[in-house]
Amino acid sequence: MSAERAPGLLAGDSLNLRLARRSLGLIALCLILLPFADLAITTHDPWAELGRMISGLLRPDILATQSLPHAIALTIGFALWGTLLGVVLGFPLALLFPRSRLLRGSCAFVRAIHELFWALLLLQVFGLSAVTAIAALTIPYAGIFAKVYAEILELTPRAPVDALPEGVGRFSRFVYAELPMVWARLSSYTRYRFECAMRSSVLLGFVGLPTLGFHLESAFREGRYAEAGALLWVFYLMIASLHLWGHRRLLPWIALGSLFLLGPWPDIDGALLWRFVSVDLWPNPLLEGNWSGLWQWFGEIPDLLPAIGNTLLLGLMGTAGSLVVALLLWPLASRHFGNRPTRMAGKGVLILMRSTPELMLAFIFLLMLGPSMLPAWLALSLHNGALIAFLVARHADAIVPGSHALPASSRYTYELLPRLYGGLLALLFYRAETIIRETALLGMLGIATLGFHIDSSFAYLMFDQAFFLLLITAGLNIAVDALARRYRPREIADTPGERGHPGREATC
Amino acid sequence: MRWLVACLLILVSTAATAETFRFTAIPDEDQSRLEERFDKVARYLEDQLGVTVEYVPVKSYSAAVSAFRNDQVQLAWFGGLTGVQARRLVPNSRALAQGQEDAEFRTYFIANHDSDVDTQGDDLPKNVQGKSFTFGAKTSTSGRLMPEYFIREQFGAPPKSLFSRVGFSGDHSRTIALVESGAYDLGAVNFKVWDAAVADGRVDTDKVDVIWKTPTYPDYQWTIRGDVDDRYGDGFTGKVRKALLDMHDPELLESFPRQGFIPADNDDYQPIEDVGEKLGLLR
Repeated sequence: MSAERAPGLLAGDSLNLRLARRSLGLIALCLILLPFADLAITTHDPWAELGRMISGLLRPDILATQSLPHAIALTIGFALWGTLLGVVLGFPLALLFPRSRLLRGSCAFVRAIHELFWALLLLQVFGLSAVTAIAALTIPYAGIFAKVYAEILELTPRAPVDALPEGVGRFSRFVYAELPMVWARLSSYTRYRFECAMRSSVLLGFVGLPTLGFHLESAFREGRYAEAGALLWVFYLMIASLHLWGHRRLLPWIALGSLFLLGPWPDIDGALLWRFVSVDLWPNPLLEGNWSGLWQWFGEIPDLLPAIGNTLLLGLMGTAGSLVVALLLWPLASRHFGNRPTRMAGKGVLILMRSTPELMLAFIFLLMLGPSMLPAWLALSLHNGALIAFLVARHADAIVPGSHALPASSRYTYELLPRLYGGLLALLFYRAETIIRETALLGMLGIATLGFHIDSSFAYLMFDQAFFLLLITAGLNIAVDALARRYRPREIADTPGERGHPGREATC
Repeated sequence: MRWLVACLLILVSTAATAETFRFTAIPDEDQSRLEERFDKVARYLEDQLGVTVEYVPVKSYSAAVSAFRNDQVQLAWFGGLTGVQARRLVPNSRALAQGQEDAEFRTYFIANHDSDVDTQGDDLPKNVQGKSFTFGAKTSTSGRLMPEYFIREQFGAPPKSLFSRVGFSGDHSRTIALVESGAYDLGAVNFKVWDAAVADGRVDTDKVDVIWKTPTYPDYQWTIRGDVDDRYGDGFTGKVRKALLDMHDPELLESFPRQGFIPADNDDYQPIEDVGEKLGLLR
């Protein structure tokens, strides 16, 4: 911005003006690219099916699912052990994280692949077993823990270390003077991850692991909505009551108890594992050193450029949509607006929207609007927007308003939003990478994203193709994450005591 | 924490390794009370075979094939294409038996009434062009492979260039729901699933109906691994086949759902293999 120019509408160098420019830029980019998206509405008569769904949700049949307690226990067991082993692996990595570029790269890579795709890969070797489920969570979580723990450790206050006498060993220094300073943040983030793991654990059921999601997906897919409704309620209750049963003292017992349910453990067949890693994942012509064959192999890969384009476009639209949804919805759950009953209802709606798997939201919109990018866009925007709104409302509740006399609309625009907006945008930019990852899951809408082709490759048992597409997806995610980091507002102060950083809690 | 690890190690080391005979079935029909129903089949096989038999539930077609390939199941009730996939991956495995209906299986093309497609001709109506269309699961024989084959044969073009939009609903019941709601104009379904849905009143035939029935082709079959005779005793394959062919209890057959089972072998599925290769779904 040159100094001589008269300040225009959005010119100027203040933080909030910069944030406004970034947000409007995001939305403008989305609007410019919108004509490339396929947004036709084609449905004629969704009401019969929707009616059945609503009646199922209102009249859930809790007894319809066989072995429901077992499924619930496995959901929790997988989540708990996935998180636990993620910590065990991630923590030592976090100590090396700042020193090794290779490590940072590998962590970014394992993070960039969706849990479901990890599960699909591991399924080929470990079958439908607890090893597949737990490793599918542990691998990406180790990468996440390494990064986030490293960020938290970086902020360790120096004073206690400086106060130590000469000659204190590195280990003692770490255990007595550094770790206690950040313990609260580490454990609070770990807890948050466990909540994420619960959701992921349910999702693992969608590829066949026997969690709640297994029964939920089957019932929903086959239109047994009373059963699906009951399972959804169980899932909501599990998430909402986490603070009751997810107690620090109780969790080790739950972890131990769940061990007895996780078996039978598969015999790990070394030959199978080796064949998968050394042969199945690689293009045959490459292994044979046949270069012209490799060229032909590339030719058989389904239209890569449109797939990347669709993935990025949907990711952008989802991010911009989430921004709008979050701006509209956060007051629903904030103490600054409405009264107790409306807030309870508002919170309930937000929890419902952010907990319902996107795949289901997308299917409901698919019924209502017909196949196009529109259902996917709505599902991504509502799910992620609600999640961000929920967190923003919590940040808002920490603010003490200066004047109570203002009407609600002025409180929103002049008092609260300016203070919250940086945090909101930080959350959104953190979330962008997750949104891109999620576009992968919406292939059933007939939208040829990268995820659609990965799913096909797994179905056709062409693991080399699936692996290649996964590498591209991971690369894309890493690039988007770097871009989002570049534009993420950095000036936003840490909210101490809260999980350490305003953005981190939006990463699952 | 230390004793958590200790307990884990104990559990891992005592994991049962007894030789149980396991089977699975691709998730193609009504999956409610699936375990209950297939556990009855397991009890029946146990009585006939004299070994412990267990049913392993799977979620997707490819999970069934992977389980078979990885020896997590030794016997599987596959679709036409999944069976071919499995037998190509596991040498010496063989098709044992098919349902009475499977020798002459069909796909129904269904259409939403508002889509104005001509109904019930000898061929797929010409004016399906430009409509939106959904397959079932990506590797379903009746929901993907054969309908795509017949579409290409009749129009000389891939579905993508023929229809305005091509989706994969993932499931036959879902195909019916999506076409009934008008989300897609047309869809291709397994004729058994359609007939069952109509019989149960789960589908409103004023909104969606059959517009074309494909010629017949071979579909579902039982496939067994080639190494079972070595592991469960000589002649085990024969015993399994006999047990399947002798299954006459309607309550057991309902799970598949078939009238009964008849002998089948790998060659019966050559047409499916040829089509799969032609469409690039096998390689």
